[in-house]
Amino acid sequence: MRVTLAEDSTLLREGLVRLLAEEGHEVVAAVGDGDALLAAVAAEQPDVVVVDVRMPPTHTDEGLRAALRIRERWPGVGVLVLSQYVEKRYAVDLLTGHPEGVGYLLKDRVAQVGEFLDALVRVGGGGAAFDPEVVRQLLARTTHADPISRLTERERTVLDHMAQGHTNATIAGQLHISQSAVEKHVNAIFDKLDLSHVTGYSRRVLAVLRYLGS
Amino acid sequence: MGVVGTWVRVGVGVLLGAVTGLVELVYLIWAGIILIPAWPQPRTRRAAVQRIQAGARNLAEVERWRLAAFLRAENASDYTGARAVEYLLLRWAVGLLGGLVLLLFLYGAAVGVIWTFEAFTGQSTLLLIVSQVLLSAVLLFLIVQGFIGIAAVERRLARHFLGPSTREVLERRITELSTSRAGVVAAVDAERRRIERDIHDGVQQRLVALGMLLGRARRAPDNSELIAQAHEETQHILDELRDVAWRAYPAALDNLGLHEALLRVAERAGIRVRLRYELAERPPSAVETAAYFVVSEAVTNAAKHAYAQEVTVDVTQADRLVVRVRDDGVGGADPGGSGLSGLARRVAAVDGEFTVDSPVGGPTVIVAELPCV
Repeated sequence: MRVTLAEDSTLLREGLVRLLAEEGHEVVAAVGDGDALLAAVAAEQPDVVVVDVRMPPTHTDEGLRAALRIRERWPGVGVLVLSQYVEKRYAVDLLTGHPEGVGYLLKDRVAQVGEFLDALVRVGGGGAAFDPEVVRQLLARTTHADPISRLTERERTVLDHMAQGHTNATIAGQLHISQSAVEKHVNAIFDKLDLSHVTGYSRRVLAVLRYLGS
Repeated sequence: MGVVGTWVRVGVGVLLGAVTGLVELVYLIWAGIILIPAWPQPRTRRAAVQRIQAGARNLAEVERWRLAAFLRAENASDYTGARAVEYLLLRWAVGLLGGLVLLLFLYGAAVGVIWTFEAFTGQSTLLLIVSQVLLSAVLLFLIVQGFIGIAAVERRLARHFLGPSTREVLERRITELSTSRAGVVAAVDAERRRIERDIHDGVQQRLVALGMLLGRARRAPDNSELIAQAHEETQHILDELRDVAWRAYPAALDNLGLHEALLRVAERAGIRVRLRYELAERPPSAVETAAYFVVSEAVTNAAKHAYAQEVTVDVTQADRLVVRVRDDGVGGADPGGSGLSGLARRVAAVDGEFTVDSPVGGPTVIVAELPCV
């Protein structure tokens, strides 16, 4: 995939460039701040952007603001946001608008190379990737305590995996149950959460997430 | 303000004092006159006393202004009318005495002029001239002493009768303390923010990078090079961690004292630092810490923002510990900037004084004076 990186730490930026190159992706631009990122996206139209939340000049949420701008102006570009901490508001901000090609990971997750690359591919392909930590927090803090509390333990686990952007097949593999069992759980969850059926994995994930984050 | 200026100021002050002394004398006589018929009746007596006290306060306020303007003596305004009357009862005499000294001075000056004229027109003998010069010198000395004495008595009287009262002193101190306390809290928060940034932007980034290296190594068929890089990275992480911990609080300060810690700052500065350290014994720990941070912050600023080649650090002690940091950089440092205002608050917290002098074009001189009690 064609990737653009925005990360102010030179060390990490170089590491990411090498990692992505080794994996056969093409890094079309690697920049150190939000403005440069927007310029690079405008020029290159990559498949996916990896962006750090904290960047110069203020080291607060430049990266996130750039990510939101990209989602607004170039809906076809996937955006994978890396954050120092889990911020529920950031997750919710990212989920508003169109629900494709978005991801929100804890920065440390990059060290789990496999998971990171996996998430990148999902986001680049129009899917979703949410850090387990983000999902846990959204589940914990959800204002819809009621419907969530009606879920069984197993259904909760399935929802947790589903919200991270996993497919039924991978969930089945991780929980060591059959795929049809997963489908049964998923349907039960949708019934209890009162969500209309939509096709496409990313859609269902985002529907659930938005519901939890609202 | 030269010596002449000072003398003119004091002279004018004494002259005005003589005039007000006369006014006060008249006022006191008038007060006595209205008080005598009003005395038998408690009600009329109270009214008269109140009138007299109000007038006395006005006169005392005039004196306060005069003392502040000409004799450099600041006094508080929270004294009672009764205190003002007591003050005036003594003050008028001092004022008139000052007037007499002034007259003596004018008389001496006039005589001096006449004598000089006579000496130049050849109307005096050498013996006479010598005796006149001697006499003039003695008289001038006495007059000068008279002025100094009058000024001193004026200040003491005002301090005794007009304050600053204990309450005023306490209030000032409380204001000072609450300001510096708020400053300390802000400074601590700023420090914590800096430490958080240090940890995230330094150590954590390196750890993530290390994790990436190892992750790549696990996926690569030939991984010896990546593992070597990862190994090297752990060394960097350890260095970084030591740095962050040191910036949060230099442990050497507690164990080895200020001098050692400052030598370490000089070593790590990256520019030339001349350290002159002249303390015979270790200052109290709070003072040591403040002094340390003043130096380390100032040296960092000089290297990072002022593009200095060399920094001179002097740590000396008179009755207070004085830290002076001078660099040959471009100057223009902003005392309101986060680093310097943080230092100012840190110094204020230990009742010290902090000044920054940084004209555009340099040099920048930062001085902190810290009381060691």
